[in-house]
Amino acid sequence: MPDLSKPLFRLDGVTVRRGDAQPLRELSLDIAPGVATLLVGPSGAGKSTLLRLLNRLEEPSEGSVSLHGQPLPGYDVLGLRRRVGMLQQAPVLLEPTILEDLRLGRPELSREEATALLERVGLDFPVDRPTDGLSGGEAQRVCLARALAVGPEVMLLDEPTSALDSFAAATVEAAVRALLADGISVVMVSHDLRQARRLADEVVVLIDGRTAASGPAAEVLDGGSADVRRFLAGAT
Amino acid sequence: MTGAGAVAAAAPAGVPVPSWWGVALSLALVAIAGFVVLRARLGLTRELAVAAVRAAVQLTVVGYLLSLIFTHTGIPGSLGWVAAMVLIAGRVGARRGRGLPRAQLIATCSVGLATAATLGLLVGSGVISSRPIVVIPIGGMVVNAAMTATSVTMLRLRDEVASSRRQVEARLALGLPGAEAFSPHARAALRTSLAPQIDSASTVGLIALPGAMTGLIIAGVSPELAIRYQIIVVYLGLGAAAMAAVTVVTLGQRLLFDEAHRMRPLET
Repeated sequence: MPDLSKPLFRLDGVTVRRGDAQPLRELSLDIAPGVATLLVGPSGAGKSTLLRLLNRLEEPSEGSVSLHGQPLPGYDVLGLRRRVGMLQQAPVLLEPTILEDLRLGRPELSREEATALLERVGLDFPVDRPTDGLSGGEAQRVCLARALAVGPEVMLLDEPTSALDSFAAATVEAAVRALLADGISVVMVSHDLRQARRLADEVVVLIDGRTAASGPAAEVLDGGSADVRRFLAGAT
Repeated sequence: MTGAGAVAAAAPAGVPVPSWWGVALSLALVAIAGFVVLRARLGLTRELAVAAVRAAVQLTVVGYLLSLIFTHTGIPGSLGWVAAMVLIAGRVGARRGRGLPRAQLIATCSVGLATAATLGLLVGSGVISSRPIVVIPIGGMVVNAAMTATSVTMLRLRDEVASSRRQVEARLALGLPGAEAFSPHARAALRTSLAPQIDSASTVGLIALPGAMTGLIIAGVSPELAIRYQIIVVYLGLGAAAMAAVTVVTLGQRLLFDEAHRMRPLET
């Protein structure tokens, strides 16, 4: 079980620069373990950039990011990415069959383990089923199962339901709840405030690359500064 | 090297060589092409004229330079010539991969390594002579094959980098190292860049008589002897092309990722 008294991730004075753009500015933030933290905010607020810092697909230009108190560059990066899994916005299936896809990060995965993984994400499929022809929601859940195969303690989810219809989105949300029940921490980007109310324990509102509000979901979503209220009013 | 000089300085007896008047007369063909281009208002007249003049000037300079090298400089001169060809070919190859990190380095190393390995093996083992009259023309064909393969592979590699970021990052996110995450795309780039080389080797002689063979036949060598050179040239070309393409992909794969296994963006 994770140590709930210490932050899972700590971002300290993080700035990200890309040419003239500055997706994140002097951002400091703690992300708690064992809960679902949702990052919300308008497009271009730096939500996805923040998520990608957590598994080192991006590097801060200034400041530091640490996991369990240790700066990320202190971890072996490949080991770090196995502990901190990621699900992209649109599903990306890479192999011809589900079993081969699930084995990408763990080649020794048995057929039984693969079946169990599919059950964990709510799919009752034969593992030899071709990945061609899966619906968006099914494909996204296979991607989630593929990430779970390597045994992460945290899952980063980058708007995993934005490309899905509401039924498919509900199946993915159910799979996310199952992760939390299994003790896997979740950090998720969402543009959907109703989804935030359904899933989040903690909410971070990002506006212009800075934290506009953060804290327990109910507190943030029902209160906050004028900027936050304006964003929340516009987004609902 | 006086023997080599004699060969280069004058055509061997019995070999028909056109006079400068004949060369000038062949310019009439370009004039016909120019007339057609002008009439059709293709806007290519100037380019055609420049190309015709460039071809004549470049080849004249090269002809006299080669005569000098054949007569006076021996092996060091021919190595220098081949090295210069490698550098030029590296620049041309790099243009196709513009945007890839260290494109110039990748292209030059690939052409250089492929040329050195293939030509070095055959000259070193005595299969072909180390005399400049052999090393320079054969070297030119090898560099050309390596350059073509390098250009196509650089182009394909760049396209793969531009189009595969999501797939590569999906693999990286599972903890795969950069080279492994990119390997399906590297294989695709290699396959498509080598296919034309293999096709061209498999039809050699059927569609057009290739350069080395043509040259030897004009110089009076019997076709059944000339094919020996041509077969070696085809194999050299295939070997150099494969080696250059593999080097492009191997180096490219390394340079595409930083120490944290992140795919670098294409440079603009």
